[in-house]
Amino acid sequence: MKLSETGILTKADLVEMGRYPSEERMKKGPVAVAECVQDIPCNPCETACPFKAIHIGENISNLPKIDVNKCNGCTTCVSACSGLAIFVLDKSYSDSYGKVTFPYEYNHSFKVDDIVKAANRGGKHVCEGKILKITNTQKADRTTVITLEVPIEYVDEVRSIYRDKQHQSSKEEIMSEKLADDVLVCRCEEITAGEIREAIRQGATDITGVKLRTRAGMGLCQGRTCEALVNQIIRQELGNSPADIGFSTPRTPQRPVTFGTLGGDLDE
Amino acid sequence: MKQCEMLVIGGGPAGLSAAIEAAEAGVKVVIVDANEKAGGQLFKQIHKFFGSSMHRAGIRGMNIGQELLERCEKLGVDIWLNSLVIGMYKDNVVAIDVKKNLTEHKLEKIQAKKIVIATGASENAVRFPGWTLPGVMGAGAAQTMANFHRVLPGKKVLMIGSGNVGLIVSYQLMQAGAEIVGIVEAQPKINGYAVHASKLTREGIPIYTGYTIVEASGDERVNKAVIAKVNPDWSTEPGTEITLDVDTITIGAGLKPLIGMSYMGNCHLMNDRFLGGWAPCHNYSMETTTKDVYVAGDASGVEEANTAIEEGKVCGIAIAQALGYLEEDKAEQMKKEAWGRLAGLREGAHGAERTAAKERQLLEYKKVMEG
Repeated sequence: MKLSETGILTKADLVEMGRYPSEERMKKGPVAVAECVQDIPCNPCETACPFKAIHIGENISNLPKIDVNKCNGCTTCVSACSGLAIFVLDKSYSDSYGKVTFPYEYNHSFKVDDIVKAANRGGKHVCEGKILKITNTQKADRTTVITLEVPIEYVDEVRSIYRDKQHQSSKEEIMSEKLADDVLVCRCEEITAGEIREAIRQGATDITGVKLRTRAGMGLCQGRTCEALVNQIIRQELGNSPADIGFSTPRTPQRPVTFGTLGGDLDE
Repeated sequence: MKQCEMLVIGGGPAGLSAAIEAAEAGVKVVIVDANEKAGGQLFKQIHKFFGSSMHRAGIRGMNIGQELLERCEKLGVDIWLNSLVIGMYKDNVVAIDVKKNLTEHKLEKIQAKKIVIATGASENAVRFPGWTLPGVMGAGAAQTMANFHRVLPGKKVLMIGSGNVGLIVSYQLMQAGAEIVGIVEAQPKINGYAVHASKLTREGIPIYTGYTIVEASGDERVNKAVIAKVNPDWSTEPGTEITLDVDTITIGAGLKPLIGMSYMGNCHLMNDRFLGGWAPCHNYSMETTTKDVYVAGDASGVEEANTAIEEGKVCGIAIAQALGYLEEDKAEQMKKEAWGRLAGLREGAHGAERTAAKERQLLEYKKVMEG
């Protein structure tokens, strides 16, 4: 499964792209890793680094390059990253434990020394972790930064604190036999998909044609909600292009207005 | 009838930025905004923005909104709140339904030398059996409720759509205390940025790529959603249905520009799916094919707040130049810089399609004007 399907990066992906610090470097002391692999036009990490260890360059869509020799793992970039994609890893802490620092923007009541369930990039509970540090600097503008102590073999995995919840999903053989024709499309005028298809059968080929036959789009919202849906149905039925289907003619009043307000303009 | 030099329809990031640039040069600006507070969608953007330091990267959208409002106030920009533009007519006349209080409205007309259409966009809906049940709403609506009005729309939310709006709103609903039951994406891959998706996956939120919503059900409000795998022909694969307990379904299926004003202003519109559908074409000054009528932000094609701000600036500069408040050389230089920043924001894989679409708009403008 790829990142684009799952939203979950792996260490292997990052190593392959040459974007993960070496074991040797992590053993020397804390170092930042930018788990940012798409060219997003964004560079606050470069601006934030007090040691000029992050390079993006003039083209702000370049991926951040972290100079692991200049980086001392200060964690400034962790809260500066708008994508919350920078972490600081440290395997120098002890032989059996390491540290992971990550951004955390949720309400919480965690305290230093709390033992918490640590979660991996997929949100799975993988090990226990001890909170070593919680910072909330003014510069970080409400992005809390948490440092967890975890068994050293989990430093490459842990990226957040596990979230308890009860997902109640069950595979069921249910089939919705409701005909799609029953489904409301224009909710203001209560016009169903079936009525719209009927209008198309009668010869409507565009938004206006459907509107004149069914009133779809003539209610309070003036088609802001249903127009694109009517467009889809016409395309499905007739294969017309969006340019041929057009749109309903915008006219005054663009939003509902009372006759009283309209009539009140007597001075001109 | 009131008169003004520059009238901005819509006080979001594009409209406010247009007003600020023009007012800084000395133009007298009126902004009309339908809401109780200007700022458009910025005040519900509680996340830090992308971009570079040139575009206030790393700053939360709501703080950018506050900054723009403060600058407007300092510059003496006249902002009409609770004011709905209901129509636009010849000779740059605009009719506005001004809400004076809960029961009293007054119709005002303004004639402006220059008009900026910065009306933004509206959300696309997705239809499925049960989509009209209470609890099914646009992702943007849920975001307004949670972040602006501080009301959580529901506790167990299913998000339809994995674009940046779907991903960001899911994250924010979770920050507000809701459980995200899942994110459904009919395409085989996640539409938005991976970093936004990763923020959710490391909290254990499942992203169902290649799935669609089959049905929502419930008596008084939605309480169940059925999703299933989609086949290449958009039918659903029998036997792959998953039933989820939900109390809210939010739809993040993209946005389309609001074109009412552009149409009434006789601006030439073109359809481009990479910009959300119909939108007016324009030139390098963001002027539409109708003289004196400019467009900026999502109303000129759906993008994001940073590009809206830069397009607004281009409008403001161009209008100040046209009204004689800015010297040509200086104005051209400023516009060039703004277009440079726009090019920066449209870089990268996600921006290539928008860049091309924006170029088509500029070309279309040329074609129309050259007849």
